[in-house]
Amino acid sequence: MTNARLWNHDLNDDCYRVRLMAALAGVALDIRPVDLFPGGEHQSPEYRALNPLARLPLLHAEGMILRQTEAMLLYLAGLGPRGPLFLPEKAPERALMQDWLFFAARDLGAASQARTVAMFGASGDGAALAMSARRGLRMLEDHMTGQRHMGLNFVTGAQPSVADVALFPAFALCRDFNLDHDAFPALRRWARQIRQLEGFISMPGIPDYH
Amino acid sequence: MSETPFALSELPWSPLALAADIEAGTSAGTVWNGAEIVIWRDSRGSLHAWEDRCPHRGMKLSFGFVRGDRLACLYHGWEFGDDATCRYIPAHPELAVPPTIRVARYKAAEALGMVWVAHPDAAEPSPEDSHAVFGLRSLQIDRSAPEIADLICRVGLPGCGGLNMPERLGPLIRWRQGDLGLIAGLQPMTDASCTLHLGMESDLPGTERAAMISATVALRTLAESSRSEGLS
Repeated sequence: MTNARLWNHDLNDDCYRVRLMAALAGVALDIRPVDLFPGGEHQSPEYRALNPLARLPLLHAEGMILRQTEAMLLYLAGLGPRGPLFLPEKAPERALMQDWLFFAARDLGAASQARTVAMFGASGDGAALAMSARRGLRMLEDHMTGQRHMGLNFVTGAQPSVADVALFPAFALCRDFNLDHDAFPALRRWARQIRQLEGFISMPGIPDYH
Repeated sequence: MSETPFALSELPWSPLALAADIEAGTSAGTVWNGAEIVIWRDSRGSLHAWEDRCPHRGMKLSFGFVRGDRLACLYHGWEFGDDATCRYIPAHPELAVPPTIRVARYKAAEALGMVWVAHPDAAEPSPEDSHAVFGLRSLQIDRSAPEIADLICRVGLPGCGGLNMPERLGPLIRWRQGDLGLIAGLQPMTDASCTLHLGMESDLPGTERAAMISATVALRTLAESSRSEGLS
């Protein structure tokens, strides 16, 4: 089977989610760079023919095109030798994983948008988006504080799941829009656990040194 | 309840973290009365509190990383030893670093399950580690420390049983709810925000501790809701 191909920009947080999931699961990707910024290549007719949403990432694998980050994460986890670790088998844990996965996409989407406004000059109310991101990260901090008291290192249990991969960049990159890590001790600890997973990779804004 | 008035901003020692949240080999930034401070623990477990600013380019040292008994800046890797003087500059590996390159230091101590920090010229001893405290969580709240002190003395942790005998001792509040002894250390951050370092005087099973986290969330929600409702 040929490798899945990722249309990628190194500074885009959703592209990083996909690269991180692939690396953690042990899946090799073909990377097709897209000049998202400053070139705006995602608006080109050629790219829009692949993805009318004019947005990264895009994954082409086994004759199909995936355009939603979370679908790519679930697909790649199912593909790699280390992937099964990230897909809980029991129904309650799987439901929790999906709940936090949708939380990452919907409620913490503000973190991604706030960062895009702050770093790439996208339009939007940066202050309101940052406040919304902070509310979401506070919820995650509350949750991970409880998990820690129960001896659970990750969002859905003792093992990492796809939800951790989807949520991690929202916290790890929030300093890009001037939200410090100070008020999130449980998330700092959780991030250190994720960094120690086999195959972990970083991106600009997430220091290799820590 | 003690009626002794106190100004949190004038106290020499303040709790700035739960001790368990600053693991060996890690650093964290925080704000104490507007001052940015980095707290870090070296690989042997000793605590340090410094100004959160590298003397080279002003980068926050809390973004940096601990290696052995040194804290290194993320930008250019300048390494500072436990006396806060610069020991090594990677761009000039042959250079004997002048001892005048140093970070401003605070006093740091550990007591009652919390990290305590004082200005370097503070004469008062650090708080006495008089009994065991089991850390629950640090909770940042968008309200001033005096407002939160008043609220806790009135309601304690919402939904955790009747409030008994709240007692204020400087930045500490001790009280009982049901059978449980609770303690809170108040860290003033700005005029409109503070962090509450919450602990218990006896340990509980993990599931019961986790259940208390929702009570801390309720406290924050109550505190940050309109003043007339929460803090009248």
